[in-house]
Amino acid sequence: MADLVVGISDLKVSSNPADCMVTYALGSCIAVAVYDPAAKVGGLLHYMLPDSTLDAAKAKETPAMFADTGIPLLFKSCYKMGADKKRMVVKVAGGASILDESNFFRIGQKNIMAMRKLFWSNNVLIDAEDTGKNFNRTVRIDLGTGKFYIKRAGGQMEEL
Amino acid sequence: MKINKRILKSIKALPPFPATIQKVMALANDPDSSLTELVAVIRFDQAITANILRICNSSYFGLRRPVDNVNDAIMHMGKKNVLRAVMASGLSRYFRTAKGYDVKGGELWEHAVAVALMAQICAARISRPDDSRLFTAAVLHDIGKVVLGEFVHESWRKIQELVESKKHSYLDAEEEVIGVNHAELGGEIALIWKFPDEILKAIAFHHRPDLLADGDAVSWIVYLANQLCHMMGIGVGTDALAYRAVGDVAGRFQLKQRDLEDMMAQLHGSLQGARELVSIVSEQKESGRG
Repeated sequence: MADLVVGISDLKVSSNPADCMVTYALGSCIAVAVYDPAAKVGGLLHYMLPDSTLDAAKAKETPAMFADTGIPLLFKSCYKMGADKKRMVVKVAGGASILDESNFFRIGQKNIMAMRKLFWSNNVLIDAEDTGKNFNRTVRIDLGTGKFYIKRAGGQMEEL
Repeated sequence: MKINKRILKSIKALPPFPATIQKVMALANDPDSSLTELVAVIRFDQAITANILRICNSSYFGLRRPVDNVNDAIMHMGKKNVLRAVMASGLSRYFRTAKGYDVKGGELWEHAVAVALMAQICAARISRPDDSRLFTAAVLHDIGKVVLGEFVHESWRKIQELVESKKHSYLDAEEEVIGVNHAELGGEIALIWKFPDEILKAIAFHHRPDLLADGDAVSWIVYLANQLCHMMGIGVGTDALAYRAVGDVAGRFQLKQRDLEDMMAQLHGSLQGARELVSIVSEQKESGRG
């Protein structure tokens, strides 16, 4: 069984049931994990920032860096492998923040908002979510079973 | 702060600060120092020479023909890159393990390099000249974790409970349970190593630059760079986001939220280019020596 590791500003899709996709150490970044149980296609995105207008050149070179370029690319890449939007299960995690009363460092919250807005305007429902708060998370999808897992820093791996 | 005898024993058992690095740091701070002097110092340290040649011959510099001596390496890499390579190859040896924080040695070093690169990005953003003290302070900011990790490991559950239930920051929790936090302990190590005051303070107060009366820019830049790397999850452990934002770094450096985002995007690129610096630790481990 191969573990496909998804780094920061990276996304992977696969239809190989022997694959597991995993992304580590989500802080303020967000993981969007999708799976189509009929086509048996899954994908995992680890984006870092909410808005690609920050840097158009970077968005072109590394679309998975931003919510508004990474999420559409994740879905399109899954469609190419036979996934259908109506069947896709969508689970998300991350968007944590440090303890910050000034709100200057609230990139985690901005990442959550950007994702919600995008899903809302595209009629995508989130099936499960573990976002916010102030701890790191690891997200894993098992393409053999279509199950999603989450591990919070210092905790155990649990189903999401 | 109360450092118990066992912790004191551990910091005294750390290997002495490498003489070559100390000399190179002094040369780096001296604008009149020549490349010839730099070569003369480096040449006598075989491990550092080997690392510089390896970094210089890496794909990052894209040389057509491999370089086989320090002189040529410096010509190709430039003084600034050589200094970074020297620091990296000399200091990475301390970052092999940090038991207790649930972070592997290689990841702790990756965090050190990332904060150093981010500190340079911050310095450029606020139009402050890049200096080697900033790089040193940023690379070594978590040196206290290397020693404290053992003690965090023993008291892991207590610390975790405080962080989860009482809204303690990880720093406060370390202090309450162990008697000292990793930043202060880093300051003690910097004292033993006879570091300049500016670097010592930046290490000791890297989570609390607001406590420094004469808050120097180096301390605040290391603080900001570290917060951003924690948020990005680069080489951090269980303590990842359990730290508090302090003071008004936005006002001090006239930064907007968008500047933070831009700096994070920039770091992503810089880290790709610094793979060789990051890999120094893991490769030393594989060869089983260093």
